[in-house]
Formats: sequence, structure tokens, C-alpha cells
Amino acid sequence: MDAIILAASLIFDLKVVGVIVAASAFGMFVGAMPGLTATMATALLVPITFFMDPVPALGAIVAATTMAIFAGDIPAAMLRIPGTPASAAYTDESYAMSKKGELDLNMGVNLVFSVLGGLIGVAILILAAPALAEAAINFSSFEYFWLALLGLTCAVFMSSEHPLKGITALLFGLSINTIGIDPAAGFPRFTFGSVELLQGISFIPAMIGMFALSELLRGAVTVDHQGAVIAQKIGNIFTGIYAVFKKYWFNFLRGSTIGVVIGALPGAGADIAAWISFAVSKRFSKTPEKFGTGHVEGIVDATSANNSALGAAWIPALVFGIPGDSITAIVIGVLYMKGMNPGPTVFLQNPQFIYAVFLIFILANLLMLPLGWAAIKASKQILRVPRNMLLPIILMFCVVGAYAMTNSPYGIIVMLVLGVIGWLMEEHGFPIAPAILGLVLGEMLEQNFMTSMIKADGSLLGFFERPIAACLGVATVLIWAAMIWRSFRPKSGIIPGLDQPGT
Amino acid sequence: MRANDAICGLVLILLAAVMIALAASLPEFPGQKYGPALFPRILASGLIMCGGLLIWRGLATRAPGSAWVAWAPWTSDRWRLGSFALMLAMLLLYIVVSETVGFIPLGVFFLLGLFLWFRVRPLSAVIVAVIATLTIHWFFATLLRVPLPRGWLNTIL
Repeated sequence: MDAIILAASLIFDLKVVGVIVAASAFGMFVGAMPGLTATMATALLVPITFFMDPVPALGAIVAATTMAIFAGDIPAAMLRIPGTPASAAYTDESYAMSKKGELDLNMGVNLVFSVLGGLIGVAILILAAPALAEAAINFSSFEYFWLALLGLTCAVFMSSEHPLKGITALLFGLSINTIGIDPAAGFPRFTFGSVELLQGISFIPAMIGMFALSELLRGAVTVDHQGAVIAQKIGNIFTGIYAVFKKYWFNFLRGSTIGVVIGALPGAGADIAAWISFAVSKRFSKTPEKFGTGHVEGIVDATSANNSALGAAWIPALVFGIPGDSITAIVIGVLYMKGMNPGPTVFLQNPQFIYAVFLIFILANLLMLPLGWAAIKASKQILRVPRNMLLPIILMFCVVGAYAMTNSPYGIIVMLVLGVIGWLMEEHGFPIAPAILGLVLGEMLEQNFMTSMIKADGSLLGFFERPIAACLGVATVLIWAAMIWRSFRPKSGIIPGLDQPGT
Repeated sequence: MRANDAICGLVLILLAAVMIALAASLPEFPGQKYGPALFPRILASGLIMCGGLLIWRGLATRAPGSAWVAWAPWTSDRWRLGSFALMLAMLLLYIVVSETVGFIPLGVFFLLGLFLWFRVRPLSAVIVAVIATLTIHWFFATLLRVPLPRGWLNTIL
């Protein structure tokens, strides 16, 4: 209880609230601009949060991403271009609604159900995380090895229709992570005598490269495609929302639940949650023939799902240090920088920070209502910001952000190299999320693997001797088996768009 | 740009071979069976397996006579190709000369160059380039105390 009061006192400070509101506005803008994603918003925020206390730093990230995932719905309805990949699943449906003259209703539904879905995600996070942390306190290197491997496995399984490319991306990310001082023996590897490579590939510049620079490179060749904003006046967006809720409350609950489950699975985030919940909604709808004609039902499912996934992704991130999506992958880096190593012990040592994260999530979701309303009202102006000016400025921002993380051009070099690699990977259908997860989890995986190998004296059976380790191990092996089985079957293609860039 | 999977596989195998070769020079510690070379070796073996499968798949799915590398439509448009190259060139330039020239002059040049290439009207380009550079400088150097390179303006700042 004391920790909750302490957490509240940490948040309800003028400076912290100011940071949260500013980050929210930033997130709204980034989310609403096609081509700028929520992950990119996070990567761009990190160099700034680096100079803040832990609570405002986390607050800025939580607020910005919450807003960005909702704001992605705005250009989806008005331009038929999703603002973030999380809105891609129902972009056509939203646009069809706008064309029917239901832009107001569409915006209202997106806003209100994003808020409600987000709150469900937070509620599950608050309930599940401390309980899981209690169970996780007894874990040894065997359990952590399997957890890390399970996390990476899920990332491959969820993020790509071609498991082979997912595995390749994962191995590539893990390989990059071996550059630097090895975590078991402390010996420098693959550093070629460079002092800067000794510290390893700096994580945040790598993220800025893979998520922001690669996106900017793609944007640079289509810089003159501004898109025409739909010419419709926006009235009262809250009219008719209650009727939608009464009719589709079950869709809202189902979408949020799917969002929570997918969000909590490592490697899959809001975008995949939206695709799957939209597909489920269509599959079980009483009127599937209306889908595609501007029908609100699937939108209720999917817009709730992508926001609830956002909060749930923090569950594995906080409890095990295993990111639930690419945003929390960056968050884990931030947690380490702030000296609050994610894992069950943070719940004992710094519970006020955990409660602070919970409170910020609630606050951010409530703030979304007025700020989202304002963003919708101002959307025509936002969408008119010229891309040919925005792109170079963001590029400059990336450069300075990467530089700030190392205080030397080394950060910019890392950003440039990994940005080009990330661009090439996406051009060739290799998903980026597994590579990033490999980069984040590589050290944990290797350290626990080496410790376990030494403890078990090289016997692989030792990895299955403890009960929880055995369960996790079997689960991991089963998923691998399923993946191998799937790759030898003809492509089913149930969920379209899974090969698209991550959130 | 999209190269055939077989080419990706080949590149990966080469990369993995280099990893294994480099890992061979890592030391073994007496009394310890597992040294720093173990993990890279496992990863490299995995990459070789994936690379092999990619080559196999790339060759199997390749239509006879089709190109090994497919170029996206934008690559035949000179202006778009230039946009792509200019972004990378500006980054390289920044890495090489930022310490001597300094953030403010280079930042203005960086933005102005890209703006003009992207066909922003010259007057707005100059105004926005100067304002944006100064704002970013104020935000990072003054507010967050990032030591952005001063370069030519060292005596003034």
C-alpha cells in the first residue's frame, strides 16, 4: 500500500504530468502521420528519456505509444493509409465507413474502444504481473534459459508466415549480439581491436536504425505521395457510441482478450493482435457479408485489441525481462539503463516503479479521450504537414538521438549500418522483430545457457530436471515441432499482412 | 530491390563461415569445457543450415530465366533513386565531418540539401532548415546537455 502511495506521489508531480502530456501530444502526431510508427516514436523518445528520472522516462514512453496506436486509426479512416501498422487490419473497413458518411461514428468508435481496450489491457497487467513475479522468484538459470528461448520461439512463430525467414532473422540478431565482451567468460569477441565495439552493438542506436531509419528510407522514395484527405466535416464523434457498445459489447470483450493474449506473447504486438481479432470477428460474425462495406463490427474487435495488446506486452517485459513486442523490447533497454533490471526482483526492490507504470497506463488511457478528441478535430491540419519537410527533420532527429546515446559518431555508424540492414531485410521478407529480440535477449540467453551447461556438465537432460524448466522446455520443443510441420505444408494464409513491418 | 532467396542464403553462409573462422581464434580456458567460442559456433551452424534451406528454396521456386535480383519500380526513376542515395550520403557526410564542421552549420546544410532535393520551395527550405537546426540544438545541447560537436562555431558558442 505504501508503495502505491509513493508511486502516486511520483506521478502527480507537475513536471511528470507535463512530460506525460507532452509525450502524449508527440505520440498522437507520430501515430497520425503515415509512415511513422509507434515503435519509431519510442525509439526517438529514448535518447530524450535517457536524461530523465525513471518515472517520467517510462511515463513518456507509455503515454506516447498509447496515443500513437489510437492515432493510427485517424489517417486510416481519412486517407485509407494506416498511421501505424496496428491499424492496417481495418483500414479498408474504416475508409469504407467514411465514404458512406459515417466518419464521425468511425472516429468515435475508434477512440472510445481504444480507451476501453487499453484499460482492459492495463487491468490484466495489474492482476497478472505481480502474481507471475511471485512464481518467477524461484527460477534458476535453467528456467530463464527456456523462458528466453520460448520468447524467441514465439517471436519467430508469430511474426512471419515463413518460419525459415523468421529463424534466420533471429539467428542474425543473436549473432550481432555476440559482438563485444562475452557474458560468461568476459572475453572480447569480434571486436577487431576496436574500443567502441567492446561495449557491444549499442542497443538504442541499433533500434533507431532498424525501426526509424529503415522506415525513412522507404518513405524517401515516396515523399511526394501526400494522399488526399477525405472532405467531410467532423461533427460530434460521440453520437451513437452507446448503441454500438450495447450491440457489440461481446466483440469488445473478445477483441480485448485476444489483444491481451497476443500482446503478452513475446514478439507479437498490437499489429498482429488487430489482424487476428479482425479475422476472428469476421469468422464468427452473424453478418460476415457486411464486412468490407464499412461495417463497424470488426472495427470494434480490432481497435480494442490493438490497444489492449499494448499494456499486456509489458507483462513478460516487467516480470521476466522478455519483451512482449518491439516497443517493450526498447523499454527493456531503458529499464536496464535506469538500473531497474526487469525481472521478479524489481517487484520486491522497487515496487513503487511498477505501480507507477500501472498508474501511468491508466492515466494515459484516460487522457486519450480528450487528447484523441482534439487530435480528431485537428486531423485535417495534422495530415497536411508536408512529408518532404518532415522526413529530413526526423532523419536529423535520429542522427542526434543516436549520437546522444554514445556521445560519439559511433552511435550514428551503428544506426546507419543497422538501418540499411533493416531496410534490406524488409525488402527480402525477413521480419525485423525476431532480429531485435535476438539482440535484446541474446545476452540473457547466452549467459543462462552457459551457466546451465556448466551446472549440468554438458548434459542436455539437466535442462529438463526441474519441473517448471521441464514444462517450458517441452513447450518450446513443441512449438518448434509445430513450426517445422507447418513449413512443410502448403501456405494457408489465414492471416493476411503478417509479413508487414512491425508496430 | 529483392534478390532471390538463394542469394540471401549464400550471403548468410559466407557470414557464418567468417564467424566460425573468427571464433576459432577465441581462447579455451583450462578446466572449463565451454568457452566464449561455443555460442557463436552454435549460431553460425544455425545460420548455415538456414542459408542452405534458403538456397534450396530459392532455386526450387525460381522461374527459369527470371532475374536473380528484382528491382522495385522506383529504382528506375532517377529522382527517387537520388532521394534514397542522398539520405545515405548525408548520413555518411555527417559521420565524417561533423566533428570538424560542427552541428549547427552541418545541420543547416543537411536539412537544406534534403529539402531542396525533395522540392520544398527555396525560401521555406532556408527558413525551416535554420529554425529546425537551432531548435534541435537548443533541445539536445542546452536542455539535455548532449555535447553536440561545436566545430567551426567553437569560439562563438
